[in-house]
Amino acid sequence: MITYELMILFRLMSKPELVNTLKRTAQTLYNRGGIIRKLENLGTRDMPFKISSHGVVYNKASYYLFIFNSPPASIPDLLDEYERDIDIIRRKIFKQETPEFKECTLHEELQPPPYRKSVQELIAQARKLDKPKFKYNTGLDYYPFQK
Amino acid sequence: MFSYVKALQYSQLPINISRTWISITRPLTSTSNNDIPNFDMENPFEKEKPKCILCKYDITPDYKNVKLLSQFQSPYTGRIYGKHITGLCTEKQRQVEWEISKAQRAGIMASYLKEPCFIKDPKLFDSENPIRPHRFE
Repeated sequence: MITYELMILFRLMSKPELVNTLKRTAQTLYNRGGIIRKLENLGTRDMPFKISSHGVVYNKASYYLFIFNSPPASIPDLLDEYERDIDIIRRKIFKQETPEFKECTLHEELQPPPYRKSVQELIAQARKLDKPKFKYNTGLDYYPFQK
Repeated sequence: MFSYVKALQYSQLPINISRTWISITRPLTSTSNNDIPNFDMENPFEKEKPKCILCKYDITPDYKNVKLLSQFQSPYTGRIYGKHITGLCTEKQRQVEWEISKAQRAGIMASYLKEPCFIKDPKLFDSENPIRPHRFE
């Protein structure tokens, strides 16, 4: 089961209106077979940049975060539905994932270039483009004839 | 030697002097060779490997943590600093860049400037003196 995060920006509204919008947003999720795990209010604040949506330019927004489970096929429908909602300035759905642990490779990257694996690979790749050189197969380490 | 004996005399502890006369020659039949150094041991003088700051404190960058992400952003242009400046390992740099991109798309992080509330945050690295001239290999 994939857990998604819905980052949603509402326009500034009065409290009853906001409650309505939140309920509508959640209801849309339920209608598409989703369940809500968590709902977070990230506050109302100035946006870092102005956003124009539905023909209006907004400078402030109320930020909400829904953490939910939903069938993957329903995600495009959800995005489409939220796009048509005029109270929503912006909506983004991200997959919630924990990246697998990887050992820090900084000590390798701090080495001088010829010792770095990535550079060695690049050199090997470039060597492939070299013109083939004719081999005499004489078994001698010098050319026996006049050149 | 004299001072050693004297010291023994003065010391109140019951010290068994016969202990100092342990025979060096060992019977040939003994198979235990504890005195042979262990040649398979790890190099005790090996230096500790350097780690990038996010690996050191085991931090996974998240797009909601804008305060952290904005520290990797130029205050002048909002550009993300490359790994030659940030000093992160390749994987963490990739994660940071991806999370910044997510945050900017979600409308929680500025893209053409560093937000004024984060300007006075402590510096994680010196952007004027990159560790390498460019971010390529």
